[in-house]
Amino acid sequence: MKIIVGCKLVPEEQDITVQKDGTLDLSKATPKISQFDLNAIEAAVEIKAEIADSTITALSVGGKYLDNTKARKDILSRGPDELTSVIDENLETALPHQTARIMAAAAQKNGFDLIICGDGSGDLYAQQVGIRLGAELEVSTLNGVTKIVSVSNDLLVVERALETEVETLEVSLPAVISVSPDINVPTIPGMKSILKAGKKPVNAMTLSDLGLADDPALVELVEIKAAQKKDRKNIIIEGDGEDKIAEFVSHLRTIMN
Amino acid sequence: MSKISNIWVFSDAESRLPEVIAGGAELGEKVSAFVIGSQDQATQAFSYGADAVYHLGEMDSARIVEAYADTMAKVIEEGDKPAMILLPGTKRCKALASLLGVKLNAGVVTEASEITSDGNAVQAKHMVYGGLALGDEKIASPISIVVFGGGVFQPAEADASKTGEAVSVDFIEPKTSIKCIERQPKQGSSVDLNKAKRIVAVGRGIAKQEDIKLAEGLCSAIEAELGCSRPIAESEKWMERERYIGISGVMPKPELYLALGISGQVQHMVGANGAQYIVAVNKDKNAPIFDYADYGIVGDLYTIVPAIVDAFKG
Repeated sequence: MKIIVGCKLVPEEQDITVQKDGTLDLSKATPKISQFDLNAIEAAVEIKAEIADSTITALSVGGKYLDNTKARKDILSRGPDELTSVIDENLETALPHQTARIMAAAAQKNGFDLIICGDGSGDLYAQQVGIRLGAELEVSTLNGVTKIVSVSNDLLVVERALETEVETLEVSLPAVISVSPDINVPTIPGMKSILKAGKKPVNAMTLSDLGLADDPALVELVEIKAAQKKDRKNIIIEGDGEDKIAEFVSHLRTIMN
Repeated sequence: MSKISNIWVFSDAESRLPEVIAGGAELGEKVSAFVIGSQDQATQAFSYGADAVYHLGEMDSARIVEAYADTMAKVIEEGDKPAMILLPGTKRCKALASLLGVKLNAGVVTEASEITSDGNAVQAKHMVYGGLALGDEKIASPISIVVFGGGVFQPAEADASKTGEAVSVDFIEPKTSIKCIERQPKQGSSVDLNKAKRIVAVGRGIAKQEDIKLAEGLCSAIEAELGCSRPIAESEKWMERERYIGISGVMPKPELYLALGISGQVQHMVGANGAQYIVAVNKDKNAPIFDYADYGIVGDLYTIVPAIVDAFKG
């Protein structure tokens, strides 16, 4: 089975600083794999263990982050056999409709039976790319997958936990599924996998390789600004002695009445 | 803000229908609701204020809700434009939004916390970078699709005098095949923190699972629901996902949010920030949560919590 796993590199949030005017400074943020994609990679690795002769291609679309060798190695050390990257500086701020369209073109070039994506990306968390990708490719597509019940070369049986119910679904392949964070616990790669990752192939593509027509401008990102913090009272009592706790309790009583 | 002439709404969860119709009425001149289900549900949609109801028939148990995307897309395509599709943030509606986005060549914004329009273009804000900032997006296509988060619209009240004749729509079979073989009510708690007036939440400051009892004791003393931070639900798995508060979890709007041993990372605080009052107990004086708190106490929660319980019991 040919498995593709969507893998986005996002800035480490802890390195992002909010500037005085509310804009974000990402210049010191190192790239990391979007946390939700770790679940997608793990799900792919688990399927590969079930279906003989499976291959996993990590597919990543984005800007200069993809040139980062350490980040690439991190992706490959988690189980994919190879990495396909579509790099363009304009893709640094790509919105879901653009990312999905480019991923669809790359996936078609690559060939696939199953594409697995995470729940959303750690930066925009729009939760659109997986479904849009399936719709672009005109294959079965599903979000919120919480369990892979069984897998064969042409059929996947999955569970999908929704707000109040759990669906068990038969999905014919090819398909694109997006998995929820509770589907698995991503494995931390060992030294052997990390060393092996350096030898795995990386296939770098450009937008022109994909021969895509101009992008329909569906959504425009106007700005990204830090949310305004609500004004809070910030009355903090130090110490857990009886009188301190009593003071705290009296505040609590006031706001509860 | 000028209204959009034509708004389409749908909710797979009956409980969110009053909200989505109210939102449609706020943003649009005419609200058309899609209903999958009984005739009663169609009647209900009218009572909440829908101007038109498109009845897609009874739910076929072998289908998933998203299988109706082609059917909805056809009706929307034939309708007046500019148009907007407004959906509540359930899993299925998020999937529908993206499917309709591709089918109708329409821009989509999900998890919108603020929606405005000039009658044509729709602009919506939603959180990015784990809650660190708000992204402001403008939809440029003639049809815009917005999925909104909880608490954006006040649910409409039912008014039985509002009625109408629903339009029946024939189902269009999608090209792809997903078959539902079973549907089961979700196991475990069906807690809805969105409805809680008070929430006590625990974080990493709790040393072991048994100690959650301490927080439960506090919950019963002050009539609160129990919540937690992400590590407690996802890494430790000590509580269900429905109880975890944060950008990728629940974003409730209680009167009181009492955080026990939660450091207060931004991803958590954006989930808690809807609370009228935030109160924190943490032994680390420098924990970021104190910046977000109305009241806080720096000390050992194992000393403080039993004392609060005693105070409120007594």
